Amino acid sequence: MKTYLLLLSPRFLSLVHRVRSGEEGSTAKLLFMAGVAFLFWAGIFFGFYKALAYFKAAEGFGLVLAHKLMGMVWLTFWTILIFSNVITSLSSFFLSKDLDLLHTSPTSLENIFWARFTNTLVDSSWMVVFFGLPVYLVYGLVFQAGPFYYFSLIGVALPLLVLAGALGVSATQVLVHVFPARRTKDILLLLSILLIILLYLLFRMMRPERLVNPDAFTTVVGYFASMRTPSSPYLPSFWATEVLWPQLNKQGFSEAPFYLAMLAATAAAATVLASMLSNRLYLHGFTRSQEAARRIIRRASPLDALSFLAGRPFASPSRALIAKDIKTFFRDNTQWSQILLLLALIVVYLYNFSVLPLKKSPIPTFYLQNFISFLNIGLAAFVVASLGVRFVFPAVSQEGFSYWIIRSSPLSLKRFLWTKYWLYLPPLLIVAEVLIVVSNYLLDVTNLMMIISTVTIFFLALGLVALGVGLGAVYPRFETENIVQVATGFGGMMFMIMSAIYVGTVVILEAWPVYTLFVHQLYGRALPPWKLVLIAGCFAAVAAVHVAAVVLPMRIGLRHLGEREAL
Amino acid sequence: MIELIKVTKQFRQVLAVDNLSLRVVPGEIYGFLGPNGAGKTTTIRMIAGTLKPTAGKIRIDGKDLERDPLEAKRVLGIIPDRPFLYEKLTGYEFLRFTAGLYGVGSQDFETRAAELFDLFELGDWRHELIESYSHGMKQRLIMSAAMLHRPKVVVVDEPMVGLDPRGARLVKKIFWQLKKNGASILMSTHTLSLAAEVCDRIGIILQGRLLTEGTAESLLAEAKGSTQLEDAFLMLTGGQEEQALARFLENGRS
Repeated sequence: MKTYLLLLSPRFLSLVHRVRSGEEGSTAKLLFMAGVAFLFWAGIFFGFYKALAYFKAAEGFGLVLAHKLMGMVWLTFWTILIFSNVITSLSSFFLSKDLDLLHTSPTSLENIFWARFTNTLVDSSWMVVFFGLPVYLVYGLVFQAGPFYYFSLIGVALPLLVLAGALGVSATQVLVHVFPARRTKDILLLLSILLIILLYLLFRMMRPERLVNPDAFTTVVGYFASMRTPSSPYLPSFWATEVLWPQLNKQGFSEAPFYLAMLAATAAAATVLASMLSNRLYLHGFTRSQEAARRIIRRASPLDALSFLAGRPFASPSRALIAKDIKTFFRDNTQWSQILLLLALIVVYLYNFSVLPLKKSPIPTFYLQNFISFLNIGLAAFVVASLGVRFVFPAVSQEGFSYWIIRSSPLSLKRFLWTKYWLYLPPLLIVAEVLIVVSNYLLDVTNLMMIISTVTIFFLALGLVALGVGLGAVYPRFETENIVQVATGFGGMMFMIMSAIYVGTVVILEAWPVYTLFVHQLYGRALPPWKLVLIAGCFAAVAAVHVAAVVLPMRIGLRHLGEREAL
Repeated sequence: MIELIKVTKQFRQVLAVDNLSLRVVPGEIYGFLGPNGAGKTTTIRMIAGTLKPTAGKIRIDGKDLERDPLEAKRVLGIIPDRPFLYEKLTGYEFLRFTAGLYGVGSQDFETRAAELFDLFELGDWRHELIESYSHGMKQRLIMSAAMLHRPKVVVVDEPMVGLDPRGARLVKKIFWQLKKNGASILMSTHTLSLAAEVCDRIGIILQGRLLTEGTAESLLAEAKGSTQLEDAFLMLTGGQEEQALARFLENGRS
């Protein structure tokens, strides 16, 4: 027990030091992040409260729906937890840098297993617990449950968490036994991304919005009929629901103690089995994870051609930087695989336009099409900003520990930042224009709207890329091991907020002039001079906003990066 | 030539380098010695341009590093102690990237890269990703990159870390060759035998200040009674480590 606690202490102490450290702005950042997390939490709480209260009030199927929903939520959380445990345990058992130190120390494998198991469990579960809590609190509140519900909730959640941890850790031990750890990481990453894409596409193509359409009511009835069939009694999520539901439905304890015992016993058994499995397989897997894979790269590959083409318009140092960035991006599975998500996002975005029920609207279709097209500028820009936070914002941070090479070389920081800008601009510009042109084509808008939206999104893309590169230089995280995490930090959030302000300002400034132009063109009327002057003024203001969005972030980023010392 | 004129570096509460002045002339190898935390790496990082001095001036080949950083860095070759590189590039691609940064033409690059891969015995690994290189191989690759543009000034932090005896001998030969070609070399090291063997002059830094400098012989003379550079170093730096070691061994025996 003493060794077990000792092995957990570095993580605990690091956390304490991080909280205590008086780094500049860290308290403000912490408060900001806590505020955002609280808003999300409150959003889930109130959103779910409204939905559940609505279900409860519905005669006939309301209770069935609430009951089924609870089972589905448990199953969803539990599945997410297993997957999260698989991924986390891969790092904590096989790839973590301190493992060498642990394995050379006189510590038993058993102690290492239990300490790492605890780490994995905490790391993979805390977020699910935090954001899952409002759902079950709402159940308690809506159904006016007694205190036993809340005690049972803890009694159910703990074994479910441990069970997911044991299953996740065991799955990782087996996977790493078959494939080397690094390869397993790549496979899991790709699988998780494909899974997300599949779920996303399936959900969207099912067109859930039809459920609110009275015409599709027969479908809804069929849907509820199918929901009355019981879910598998072998699933722990079913047991969890069977413990909690009788207390919400005021049916006493019913079979709750039995299912609670089932949960506890299964969790304990799975944990013991995971420990035994680890005893058998762990060392073999860990040894294999230490082997460096030799990967010979062919010369004259497609990446060389792409780097050559992309770097052609630039001088030698920028060309070198572009070639390096393109190659490191496409050779890093965590990076390029995100393009698949991007493609799914674009497909669904455009699909939404193809299924818009415009003809059923009481507003004339012609107006609606063009109105949606105008709003679409903002939406598409927001999609571009989301891509920006993932791909452009980490552009500076991705130099990582190798940033010293840039700082000690005769490459000016100005050139460094602008090269990043020109490298990321073309792909984002293409995505932005594709989104706008294809959605406008699907909406069948007027030529005037087509021109206004393509030109507006062109300039918005220029500004968004500058915001990404510039703010990425203001908030670089060179020491991060996982570049994907850069986007989720404070800087990434600042980028999204600034992008929303920027896009919102442009859309608001353009709203009146675009509407006026549209109406006058529609009725073939000439514009009075005072309106022309006002329209010109609005567009001049938009131009000024674009210039500021490009120049200011790049300047501020350059200043921050210049003042910052390399690692 | 490297010139440091009254250079100071303050990190919040810690004065890492204190009013340091030194000069390394062309064709000279200057050994930069000092106990752990004396300010060696901070000084080297300031010369490399990755840290900014709080006060003072640094000139590389006559160019002011603050006023004319790009021209100063163009003639500089840096070899850090920790080989952080772009792991997803091959050794060849990394050298080509460095060539691009330092403006080495592609014709010259191909010849030079081939020479350097041969010299540092990395030819078989040139088209493999750096992530599969050993520590010593990464160190040799960094050295190749630092030599690629024929620098007039070379700054090295712990050159022998991670190198096998063969690699260590190679590095010594390369330093002598660079010296012969008129380069100025500043080398920080804890390997006192290496400093005694290759350095023309040695400077000892303690608590951010230059304690003394001179040839190995003059340092021995300064630390009266010392016959080895190691003894002289310990005596001049206060011998804290030696005394601590003696105490530790004494306690261990009792």
